[in-house]
Amino acid sequence: MKKLDRLTVGGLACLAVLVVFALGSLVGAGGDPDAIVGPRLQPPGPGWWLGTDNLGRSVLPRVMEGVGTTLLLSSVAVLVTAAVSATFGIVAGYRGGYLNELVMRLVEVLYSFPAIVLAILVAAVLGPGQTAALASIVLVTIPLMTRLVRAAAVAVSQRDYVTSAVISGARLPRVLGRHVLPNVAGTIAVQGTYALSVGIAVEGGLSFLGFGVQPPQASLGVLIQQGGTYMIAAPWLILGPGVVLVAAILAINVVGDGLRDRLEPRETRSLT
Amino acid sequence: MRPIRLACGVTAVMLATACAASTGTTTAPTPDAQESPGYLTVADEKLPAGGTLNLAVHIDSGAATGYDPQLADVATTWQLLSLSYETLVTIGPDFSVQPLLAEKWETPTPTEYVFHLRQGVTFSNGRAMTADDVVGSLKRLLASKSVWRGQLGPVKSVTKDGDSTVKVTLSEPYTPFLAALANVPAAVLPMKEIDDKSVDPATTLLGTGPYVVENHRQDVSWTFKKNAEYWAKEKPAADTLNITIAPEEAARIAALQNGGAAMATLGNVDSSTMLAGAKDVKVVTQATTDFYYLMLNTQAPNSKVADPKVRQAINIALDAQQIADVALGGKGKPTAITPAGLPGACDPAALPSAAKSVDEAKKLLAEAGAQNLSFTLSIFNTEPAPAVAQVIQQNLQQAGVTVKIEQMDEASWAGKVYGKAPAEFDAALSWFAGYADPGMVTKWWNPETAGFNVGFMKPDKELNTLIDAAGEQPAGAERDEALAAVCAKADADAQMIPLVTRPATVAYRTDALSPSLYATEGYGNVLRLVADARVKKSR
Repeated sequence: MKKLDRLTVGGLACLAVLVVFALGSLVGAGGDPDAIVGPRLQPPGPGWWLGTDNLGRSVLPRVMEGVGTTLLLSSVAVLVTAAVSATFGIVAGYRGGYLNELVMRLVEVLYSFPAIVLAILVAAVLGPGQTAALASIVLVTIPLMTRLVRAAAVAVSQRDYVTSAVISGARLPRVLGRHVLPNVAGTIAVQGTYALSVGIAVEGGLSFLGFGVQPPQASLGVLIQQGGTYMIAAPWLILGPGVVLVAAILAINVVGDGLRDRLEPRETRSLT
Repeated sequence: MRPIRLACGVTAVMLATACAASTGTTTAPTPDAQESPGYLTVADEKLPAGGTLNLAVHIDSGAATGYDPQLADVATTWQLLSLSYETLVTIGPDFSVQPLLAEKWETPTPTEYVFHLRQGVTFSNGRAMTADDVVGSLKRLLASKSVWRGQLGPVKSVTKDGDSTVKVTLSEPYTPFLAALANVPAAVLPMKEIDDKSVDPATTLLGTGPYVVENHRQDVSWTFKKNAEYWAKEKPAADTLNITIAPEEAARIAALQNGGAAMATLGNVDSSTMLAGAKDVKVVTQATTDFYYLMLNTQAPNSKVADPKVRQAINIALDAQQIADVALGGKGKPTAITPAGLPGACDPAALPSAAKSVDEAKKLLAEAGAQNLSFTLSIFNTEPAPAVAQVIQQNLQQAGVTVKIEQMDEASWAGKVYGKAPAEFDAALSWFAGYADPGMVTKWWNPETAGFNVGFMKPDKELNTLIDAAGEQPAGAERDEALAAVCAKADADAQMIPLVTRPATVAYRTDALSPSLYATEGYGNVLRLVADARVKKSR
């Protein structure tokens, strides 16, 4: 088994730090993210290590809460995406025919929308909030993952051990669950990491536009939107969440690259 | 490693931006304004008239109710319609009532008003305004379903006396009458054209005002041209008025900075800080009598706030001073239902709820069996409402009340709050224009007069009697006492809880425009003096 390279380990460490950061918010480390603790728009200093926002709230606990909100939202969305894409991709790849055509055409319709436009459409229908953000991330990430899982499933379905299972009388759920799914799991895992970074970006975009999480809850998108408004007068508002967002997306992409190298060493593919 | 270089680059840009902060807020009145009390800035009349004035505002309201001035019920629509319509009287600096289409008036008795109409006034179609237009407009308003009908008071008759005199008789004295006549719903309409149906005021703006509509693209822009028939020959100064609708505050700020707009209305209370150092941009804040208030829906089935003790507890727990200081950056001030800043208004610090503590709020909640009260607060997403809502949330948390904020665009919010009776919300946040008389806005506390709040507010007979009594009193100590009684009663009723006055922020380019702006405004109309503005250069 090939060892993880240093960059991947670094990415994993960065993600671990972010998760600890987010978990810290749950146990109240850093303080109450919604509490008014000091004067408005104060630069970093004792009592508010990342400064205060326009309502006199400490930015540090808000960034911690924002990391948690964004990571949780994106992770749940990616799990939903993985479940849906695995189901449809494997069934379409294995069965082929009309089912395959139907799934692929539906996926292409979804794929034809730019991610943020699709997300805004969903938010307009469901109304702003976490549900809309979750549904948007799922719809944005489903097409690519479904296509890749389906492609992997097509290749796996031709393998001898699958043919043997079918000849020996194994039923469809067993063939798919026991023989196909484990062999496309690597693709799902690798694609999951990319979907996670896309999810973070979509959440950020939606919250930036006001369709994401609602006040006073913080997410990285909300914080960056607010920080952008005060970028000249109070740059510390965008600095913290901006750096964290960049770090999260970079770390996830680096880990995804590492997983791809480890699980699919023969494929070469661009990061984007 | 490309990603690492990218991350370093982004961080470097952020740091560089962080270090680029500059100073220099520009909110002091101009020298001209200092010589003209009541003004923030005065247009330089030495500059030549003409040119195109580009404005940016946040919303294109009016489409929902149409453009009939009498049916307009929000300040943003009044502001727009005031460009084409005029009233008998208007509001001058420091809330004084000034002549407009009426050159002068007399009040021979406390119930009689005799208006002498200005000569040479024509509608923008060229037809001269007559006393019949004035009488017909007021009668039409009184017979309409307009929300403003209740503000006019107990009008018994409207008659003309010759071609240039109109007499209004009231059944009882009503002190706010002139201030009520000064708002757009009381505008003089072209009644001949309306009666013969050649003009539909719901779709066509035809008034005596300084501008005429040339083009309108809903939610995009309005273009107005100078009314060539306008009675004040030196006005309007600008030939063309382009109003761009830019809901995003950042877009309006960007338009100002790049010269796309010469003037913009801003919602963020920190606009002056954010635009500090912006070349040739000046930010001014008008003190207004407009104020934010919290609506508690007592009419919903299973309302959580139907018990007066619960509402009083919420009222006590709200810290208006903190809302003013934090959410409005110190630019607002606490108010009772008579707007702070108007002569005769109540002292909010003297309200019964102001003297009570959060512990007393908790006790009231316990007595009402509502210790774990939680409700949803519906707000619109226009700044600074979200900031006000978040401070409210923090205030109520001190009393053990959990508030969930539900934020939406203004149209969706209006549909939710005013769309159904009984209304389907727990609590909502909005603001009222405070007008120029302290008794006017109190009339909205009577749902039978206001109409728009019957879906969430129960009439209180005692409060209504007090409101009417205050309206009848002439200005003076007795009226102040009557208004104090209204404030105390409304404070205890707490179905609509007044919070803080709402500042109005305007920014303009000093290299492109020399505007006039009052220091105070009561009808939400920051464009009130736009006809005076001199364009220095058009883009």
